[in-house]
Amino acid sequence: MTAMPERASRFPRISAMPQRGRISWFEIVLLTSCAVWVGFGLAPALQDVAVLSFLFAGLGLAWNIAGGCAGLISFGHAAFFGIGAYTSTILFQSYGITPWLGIFAGAATAAVAGAVLALICARLKGPFFILSSLAFAEVVRIIALNWPSVTGGAEGLSIPPVPDLANMVLGSKPAYEALTLIYLILAYAVMRWLEASRFGFYLFAVRDNDDAAAAAGINPLMIRSSAMALSAALTGVGGTLFAQYFLYLDPTYVISPELSFQFALLPAVGGLGTAIGPILGSFLITPLSELLRANLGNAAAGLHLVIYSAGLIVVMLYFPAGIAGALEKLKSRKPQP
Amino acid sequence: MNTIIQLVISGLLIGSIYALMSIGLTLIFGVLRVVNFAHGEFLMIAMYAAWAFSKLLGLNPYVAAIAVVPAMFLFGALVYRLVIGSALEKPHLVVVFATMGLSIFLQNIALMAMTADLRDVPPIFGRSISIGHVFIKGELLLGFIITLACTIALQWVIKYTFLGKAIRATVQDGEAAKLMGIAVPRIFLITFATGSALVGLAACVMLPLFSVFPTVGLNFVLIAFVIVVLGGMGSIEGALLGGFCVGVVQSVGSYYVAPAFGQLFFFVLFLLVMIFRPNGLFGQKGAATLGMNE
Amino acid sequence: MSALLEVQGVSRTFGATRAVDNISFAVRPGELLGLIGPNGAGKSTLFNLIAGVMPPSGGKIVLDGTDVTGSKSYDMARAGVARTFQIPKPYRQLSVIENVMISAFLRQRSMADARELAGLTLSDLGLAPYRDRPASELTVGLLKRLEVARALAMQPKLVLFDEIMAGLTPTEVGGMTEIVAGLPARGITVIWVEHVLYAIMKTATRMVVINRGRVIAEGAPAEMARDPAVVKAYLGEEMQLA
Repeated sequence: MTAMPERASRFPRISAMPQRGRISWFEIVLLTSCAVWVGFGLAPALQDVAVLSFLFAGLGLAWNIAGGCAGLISFGHAAFFGIGAYTSTILFQSYGITPWLGIFAGAATAAVAGAVLALICARLKGPFFILSSLAFAEVVRIIALNWPSVTGGAEGLSIPPVPDLANMVLGSKPAYEALTLIYLILAYAVMRWLEASRFGFYLFAVRDNDDAAAAAGINPLMIRSSAMALSAALTGVGGTLFAQYFLYLDPTYVISPELSFQFALLPAVGGLGTAIGPILGSFLITPLSELLRANLGNAAAGLHLVIYSAGLIVVMLYFPAGIAGALEKLKSRKPQP
Repeated sequence: MNTIIQLVISGLLIGSIYALMSIGLTLIFGVLRVVNFAHGEFLMIAMYAAWAFSKLLGLNPYVAAIAVVPAMFLFGALVYRLVIGSALEKPHLVVVFATMGLSIFLQNIALMAMTADLRDVPPIFGRSISIGHVFIKGELLLGFIITLACTIALQWVIKYTFLGKAIRATVQDGEAAKLMGIAVPRIFLITFATGSALVGLAACVMLPLFSVFPTVGLNFVLIAFVIVVLGGMGSIEGALLGGFCVGVVQSVGSYYVAPAFGQLFFFVLFLLVMIFRPNGLFGQKGAATLGMNE
Repeated sequence: MSALLEVQGVSRTFGATRAVDNISFAVRPGELLGLIGPNGAGKSTLFNLIAGVMPPSGGKIVLDGTDVTGSKSYDMARAGVARTFQIPKPYRQLSVIENVMISAFLRQRSMADARELAGLTLSDLGLAPYRDRPASELTVGLLKRLEVARALAMQPKLVLFDEIMAGLTPTEVGGMTEIVAGLPARGITVIWVEHVLYAIMKTATRMVVINRGRVIAEGAPAEMARDPAVVKAYLGEEMQLA
């Protein structure tokens, strides 16, 4: 244990364990391991799970910008996910625009939607905001379901499963792993940037105390809208990646309350408002839920969800600060040098 | 013209039943300041219970209420003890996630126990009652009457009994209430359990009209939320009037546009209320910003 | 010398109550103006009107020659008006220095500059030992000092103090009084609402006494103590009969 402080002083800006405002060895090791995993094409049987884990980690980080950092707990983020996915897919199918460009259009459209939601909910806090975000997502879903000429209605949209690099239809699972890992790292980088920037600090201020922030010269509505727009844009990017992986968009899943819940759950379990939280949350829960679904989904319909949700309740009651919070507590129990 | 009258009347009646299922939610929010995201699942469980009593004992669901309502009261108390109580003093989102988790838990327990098959009870009333040119289903009318009776009874309890006063005191100032010797946690428990009991009553009234299946709660919980917000969190009269609004909007909307758009209309209605009157039509001032940042 | 802040015929009604009734006064640069009055006099409402928390129902507020009537609190902050909160409102999940940095960001764009300014401000207020502690861990006395630190880190022209002495020990009151007294020398004008009278009477250069939403006396602190209207306002009508 005494070796640690010496090493930390040689690299003063990198801490041992995850912390706000600092990159830690823990994350460097974690992310490098992921890159190695992908680069060497390890564990082919788990590639599906890896793609989903990376994707959801990125989505959790995106949600966290609004939820954990700005205090905007939204249960309607699937709307932004869907908007991103549908925008790029529609642009591809109807106008032949490659998803490599469509992904930006999707992000931009989602960002606008995010700003709109924040403006609608300008005066709302707490459960009212949550409910409004739910209603918002439902409106988007109903529109997607009932506009067949544009969105394919209940049948959804599909992309031909023909490998086509120019149009983001990658041929192999490891390629998708790489793509989603890049997304994860991008979202992580945005999060770390927030922690080290004035804008990010303003998010925390608005989260913790609106009135004090206004007295300090911050316009809370502007900050909330920007945070939501950024969060929505990143979520929309994830949506496009999802569309390009599964090659099929089903509105009842893609814009569902269950999916919205998932985006919020991962950061909550991993540690709200932290950079490492959503990553830990996804790496823990995504494989677990896939595992449970694979093994128990057949045994008794719903058993895996019973276990999953019971576990969630227990975690929320006993570890409200999430895994990252528990790590913090462990860290502060270590004897001081 | 007749069509409109028919639609509005049906809308008001079904709306009253929606209101009955929402009163518990608004009561719980008004007193505990928490939104129970598992509210729909409480309704689902109660509907299954009503169905079971019906099927097993040959009772009709209205009579089964005698058993279902107390059972739901106990169920609510149990959930409060196990989950809600300890979540209350933690950060706000613990309750949100815990009740969401509870929602998924209950849905899947029901799925495992009862399978996804729709269950319903045979109609109680033979044919619709007709008043002038308007046809009213007996189940709807009875539901409306029960809702009114229940609302009046609740208002009486809140205004004239000690329990009611204790509840009002807790709503206005929890700290002061504690200092006056009111056992606030006990009030919370009783309120939560009562809210659940009310859901039980609603379930008995709804079973003759709707089938029950494990995810039926999802359909209704969003309706309940819209009603509660419209009427103002914590207002019982508000829930009733909110229910009427929603019932009529859905009834008229579904008829003139596709049924899905009926749903869309009331979500849009919800968002409009959030923009312009976040405290609802009858809610407490400042309700929209309750509980945050302090 | 022209006024930094002018309050002209300002009123504020809540329903049927006139909390602030046609109040006018001016504050010159470098003044340390004390605003006192019995409970319910309307001091807080007046305070909040100047801070931009709510618009006046009537009248004008002019800051440095510009009409700022009805400006929101963040606009007032950007115009150079800082305020403290009577019940401290810290950012609970942030550390003490981060709390101050949020305010420092108003005038300092970079992280490094904001952190430096925040650090200096904390030292000025004796809060340096608590730099990295979460704000949620501080006692009330320290939180009140944090409020002051946050206000000062905004590098304001005018600072509004709202009962910063309440709940402090006599030693703390002494320390805080020193800090406040030193502000005009640093080019910061002060409007100070306070109940702890001995502190404010010692330090203020001018006093305004408010009762029932109106100004009832204005002048040097020593005069206020002798003014019969002021005595009556504080001690009540009954004392007249005795």
